[in-house]
Amino acid sequence: MDFTYTDDQKMLKEAARRFLAGACPNVEWYLEMEKDEKGFTPELWKGMAELGWMGILFPEEYGGIGGGVLDMVTLMEEMGYAALPGPYFSTVILGGCTILAAGSEAQKQEFLPKIAEGALRMTLALSEPATTQFNPSLITVKAKAEGDGWVIDGTKLFVPDANVSDWVVVAARTAGKDTDRDGISLFLVETGAPGVGIALLKTVAGDKQCEVVFNNVKVPKGALLGEAGKGLAAVEKTLQIAAVAKCAEMLGGSNKVMELSVAYAKERVQFGKPIGSFQAVQHLCANMKMATEQSIYITYKAAWMIDQGMPEARKFAAVAKTWVSEAYKKVALIGHQIFGGTGYIVEHAMPIYSRRAKAGEYAFGSPNYQREIVAQELGL
Amino acid sequence: MAWDFGNTKEEEAYRQQVAAFLDKELTEEIARQNWEDLGLDKEGRAFGKKLYESGLLGWSWPVEYGGKGLSPVYDFILIDELGKRWSAHVPNDVAYTMVGHTILRRGSDAMKKEFIPRIVRGEIEFGLGYTEPEAGSDLANMKMTAIDQGDYYLVNGQKTFNTESHYADYHWLAAKTDLKASPYKGISLFIVDQHGPGITIRPMITMSGERTNEVFYDDVKVPKNRLVGEVNKGFYYMMEALMSERNYVFTPSRYYPYLNMLLDYAKQTTYLGKPLAEDPMVRQKIAQIAVEIETTQLLSDHARWMEWNHQTMTCEPEITKVVVSEMEQRMVDNAMQLLDQYCQLEEGSKYVPLKGRIEWEFLHSFMTTIGAGTSEVGRGVIATRGLGLPRG
Repeated sequence: MDFTYTDDQKMLKEAARRFLAGACPNVEWYLEMEKDEKGFTPELWKGMAELGWMGILFPEEYGGIGGGVLDMVTLMEEMGYAALPGPYFSTVILGGCTILAAGSEAQKQEFLPKIAEGALRMTLALSEPATTQFNPSLITVKAKAEGDGWVIDGTKLFVPDANVSDWVVVAARTAGKDTDRDGISLFLVETGAPGVGIALLKTVAGDKQCEVVFNNVKVPKGALLGEAGKGLAAVEKTLQIAAVAKCAEMLGGSNKVMELSVAYAKERVQFGKPIGSFQAVQHLCANMKMATEQSIYITYKAAWMIDQGMPEARKFAAVAKTWVSEAYKKVALIGHQIFGGTGYIVEHAMPIYSRRAKAGEYAFGSPNYQREIVAQELGL
Repeated sequence: MAWDFGNTKEEEAYRQQVAAFLDKELTEEIARQNWEDLGLDKEGRAFGKKLYESGLLGWSWPVEYGGKGLSPVYDFILIDELGKRWSAHVPNDVAYTMVGHTILRRGSDAMKKEFIPRIVRGEIEFGLGYTEPEAGSDLANMKMTAIDQGDYYLVNGQKTFNTESHYADYHWLAAKTDLKASPYKGISLFIVDQHGPGITIRPMITMSGERTNEVFYDDVKVPKNRLVGEVNKGFYYMMEALMSERNYVFTPSRYYPYLNMLLDYAKQTTYLGKPLAEDPMVRQKIAQIAVEIETTQLLSDHARWMEWNHQTMTCEPEITKVVVSEMEQRMVDNAMQLLDQYCQLEEGSKYVPLKGRIEWEFLHSFMTTIGAGTSEVGRGVIATRGLGLPRG
């Protein structure tokens, strides 16, 4: 057993802490990004690309640095700590990993190097208004073979950053019933293609989740990603990495909230004493520490298992997503309690983190969804 | 250096050896004799001896006292494999997992020679003599005295909640040796023959049927050579040992048997013609139990890893302790909801499910957030030592 970062991971972590502290300077800037239609700046994107972060998960032959999920979560933790907005997650993990998992050699050559150099942004369109619960195999958006290509029809929801993506990977049904695991195919669709309509959804975290409507969208034969009807496996692989990466992001946020709240408890004086000397406040802080500590190792263990190619990774990714989602929510709530009224004001950092905690909880399957996966893996 | 959640080849080989031995030799009766603190009976002692003779005990102890001189990871593996089987722990575990380490750290050479080899062989047990009627969470407030009489200490006073004393060979006793100094600088540790003259042991029976004891000292003479380390350093030694003790005592692996039991129950029990395992509520509850056990096991793995890599632990084992104990209570509550009204049935009664283990665990679980330090004291430690908050 070893609970330490490699030297490279340490350097990555330190570089990320430094860069993101400058790039995401304060609450004011964050709120501006929330109001901004794009939600990030070109300089920020360029800076991250120059640091090599876009290709962290890709093999070197596709312009990446050949890192693993452990490297990814190391970086992701810092992104959560800094509350980084923008389409990094959707481009690299949702788009990149899916292409890596399902793409032909030509598709990988075409897309991954461009993502790695920061020249291309992507996302994954999965959820639909056809379902009220997260369910990646409930796909009703249709793709029909027509002439030399396919025609896609239907509506996708909660598509992160579609508004700033160049391409979107769409999960569409090419055969079978709405809930069949077979018959789901993946397509690479340009967001500028005729018939694609993108509208921002107003969300609690002010992140850029979108409705994407496909109205008779014609794509060529080569747009098919992987084998027709067999797309779900690649999606599930991506979702597993995405769930663990989201855990790392939430863990970073959790650490930040704890750091801010504990510092405040040490300096805020009431009744003539720092409030952090009162047991009631100390116990709240201890609760934050326990919940956060318990989030660290499960996140890294799940990442390690994915890197090791262990079959138990499915269970542990779900365990991690269940635990960390609920821990971050709890930590954020305690943070607000310690800051009192001041943390309720929009210009304070706390609402950023508590709103992001809520978005994280429901991304890629809520704890209820994940517990069902755990139950399956336990043989129930 | 790199993140790694697996065992080394050598560790894995040891784990498999232990597992094979326990699957053959450890019966549920023996496990429960110890875990439920009923006192080690003949079978329990015999099992301890077999464990030693099989060559699986003591790998983490120094060679000169009969060990293999390896890192504590081997004892942790042993403890976890025991835990996975009916929640067992090492026979004579106060000696093996707590007292022995302090003797090694602080005892004289003569004391080490006298006690450690027998501890490594699993032969002797100690009763922990800390708590008193006026010294619970505030341990330093103890009143028991050990007065220096030249060639011996004269000990008087009362201990309470000394769980192993009725079957232990020795008492690991904390008493005041300097009545004028601050309590933190006036307590010493002693090894006392548990059943010697002047000592009276009275049973206290807990709500879950375990036996613990009051221990009374009436002019008990303790030889000078039974003082542990230096005089008046006892409180410091107790605190020094605390983090490591939590790593050995609060072991989440003990809850896997409950999880497995509930999985079997859900698969084998039907309601309205369908297995409970198909009910989404049942699936959610059992999954949540698994989530908490797995994440808590990792807290423990991490804190122990710090210990065997000689890193300074501030509050990590304390976190494990608080989380494990509170998890146990939530687990029991969830389990009882699955059993519904049958959860009330005691072991031995007609219709009792799962041999009454859940009902017993319910009764037991009131203790876990109190024994060895309450959750409130624990949170105080985490806040002040772990997070640097000012003391109130």
